[in-house]
Amino acid sequence: MFQRIIQWQRDWENEFLAVLTEPALARAVRHGFRRRTAQRLAGMSLVERQQTQGFIAQYRGLRGYLALGKLLLVFGALGVMAHLLFPDRISLTSSVAICTTLGTITALSLLSIWFNYRRMPAPNLKSYLWVIALACIGAVAGASVMTWLGGQSFASLWERIGRVILLGGLGLGSGYALVYGLVAAWRRKEYEMLTAALQMQAEQDRLARKLSESRLRMLQAQIEPHFLFNTLGAVQQLAQTESPRAAELTANLITFLRASLGDMRTGQMSLQAEWTLVEAYLKVMKARLGSRLEFQMNLAPALTHFCLPGMLVLTLVENAIKHGIEPALRGGRIDVSASCEGNVVCITVADTGAGLAVPSTLGLGLSNLKERLQLAYGDAGHLDLMALEPSGMLATLTLPLQPSALMSTPVSTAL
Amino acid sequence: MPTTVLIAEDEPLMRERLLGMLATCWPQAAIVAVTENGNDAWDSFLEHSPQVVFLDIRMPGLTGLEVAQRIGSQAHVVFVTAYDQYAVNAFEAGAVDYLLKPVEKERLELAVGRIRNKLSTPPLSLDAILKSLQTALPAPPREKLRWIKATVGKQIKLIDVNDILFFQSDTKYTRVVLADFDALIRTPIKDLLCGLDENQFWQIHRNAVVNVKAIAGAHRIDPERLQVTIKGSAESLVVSRAFTYLFRD
Repeated sequence: MFQRIIQWQRDWENEFLAVLTEPALARAVRHGFRRRTAQRLAGMSLVERQQTQGFIAQYRGLRGYLALGKLLLVFGALGVMAHLLFPDRISLTSSVAICTTLGTITALSLLSIWFNYRRMPAPNLKSYLWVIALACIGAVAGASVMTWLGGQSFASLWERIGRVILLGGLGLGSGYALVYGLVAAWRRKEYEMLTAALQMQAEQDRLARKLSESRLRMLQAQIEPHFLFNTLGAVQQLAQTESPRAAELTANLITFLRASLGDMRTGQMSLQAEWTLVEAYLKVMKARLGSRLEFQMNLAPALTHFCLPGMLVLTLVENAIKHGIEPALRGGRIDVSASCEGNVVCITVADTGAGLAVPSTLGLGLSNLKERLQLAYGDAGHLDLMALEPSGMLATLTLPLQPSALMSTPVSTAL
Repeated sequence: MPTTVLIAEDEPLMRERLLGMLATCWPQAAIVAVTENGNDAWDSFLEHSPQVVFLDIRMPGLTGLEVAQRIGSQAHVVFVTAYDQYAVNAFEAGAVDYLLKPVEKERLELAVGRIRNKLSTPPLSLDAILKSLQTALPAPPREKLRWIKATVGKQIKLIDVNDILFFQSDTKYTRVVLADFDALIRTPIKDLLCGLDENQFWQIHRNAVVNVKAIAGAHRIDPERLQVTIKGSAESLVVSRAFTYLFRD
């Protein structure tokens, strides 16, 4: 019999913990009482469940009984002390009984408030009065029972200790209401802080995830095989004709490949480094396209050490080649420039190529670029596209000169 | 008689490479034209009617696939491509030959050998393979022309393309003919083709594109050519051999 009770209790405990970790399990619980408890648990918020779980994990099984035993011992000792203080007015047995009962009730209700603080109304006059009224009624009822057992009349009792009972009830009720209200308010505050911390954690996780996703895409956005094969073909042809341009083209290709394959794709880069990369790329394209491509690059000296997420400018230039120059019957020119206006940095890539109307949907390269801008600068950085007359496209990248708070989160730690 | 060959490739070094290799692999071939975009390739094809065409797939203007579609079975086509896995898969399945860039000598020799064997038979129809290639490598989106800006005297006129009866090349200029007046523009016909709706405007000759709605009728003038009469115009236009298929039932 005893074994079965312990087994039942263990089962319930396990079920309790399982529902706390996975609220969906509550639907599988069958028994009436256990089902109601489980559903209530499932209805709690994540923070509450975590708190409850922490408590149960600490006090489950034997430890719970030990704690209960200790509490009873303390209350018993209090009862003994009360008897020793007033040996004439109260007997040892009733003193111990009263202290243990009162103590256990107080402890249990405190415990229930500890975990149900969100179901307690916020402290207000109405609930306060209710508690006091209940305490008084309890005191009067208790006194009446005593009087009846003692064979005295109710009126004589009221005359003798009516005031004491009322005052006692009032005081006791006020004390209870105050303690419970304080505990509940404190716990509520703790809850709010925990929830806010959890939300912040979730937001940070989300940002970190987006950052690593966008970085992964950058890494996957490898060099187009088309670009590589065509360029290698050009190198081969130059080498075969023993042109000195073969070595130059190879050097530019190497500069470009080193940056594109390395981690420069994901980290921060100085504008000077980005310029070297873009120039290498444009020189490679110039070697291939010949007179169909002209280009000029212009970097304000003050900006050489300005840092920005790598390959942003290259993406814009690649785009201008792919959608502007390559499809244009007679090619065109590309102008890349960076200047500083007040506290914003303005980077423009203009081409005179085929440039259809500004595309309504961005290509993969540009939408990825926009996302990286958003992650690095929030709303402070943006990209604008504009069609040029008579043909071509202008892409303008606007970035804050001072790195924002968002940017100061080291990019290298999130992966 | 040497075999006539046309080459279309947009990158100068690649052009150089293909030309140099053809000179060693196939000295008997006569290169009649080397072009650097799809529009020129098509125009040169109409001008020279070569027997063999090497077409780069990615080119400015008409893509290699679009040029091949226009050529149909009037020449043996060899595609040249740098890297298009879809294209390579399609080629593997079909009878059309292809070269991967950078072109290697052994591979080119093989292709030349195959072409020389096929020269005596009529070129294959490319319809099936072009269809599968076009789904894998769709042509870049192009804006359709809705207006033509033309100078008439001292005035610049905006002409709605729907009002145009036909375009005709006139040495340096292109004549734009409407029911009530003519205008001259600088854009050559080959470059107008990309912007015109193929179903509304038919090219019927290297130097003529006609609005289908303006065609009154066509009649044969010799075994190879037709002539079309135009509604609202006293002029008539010649349909060259390459385009007579448009008028078959």
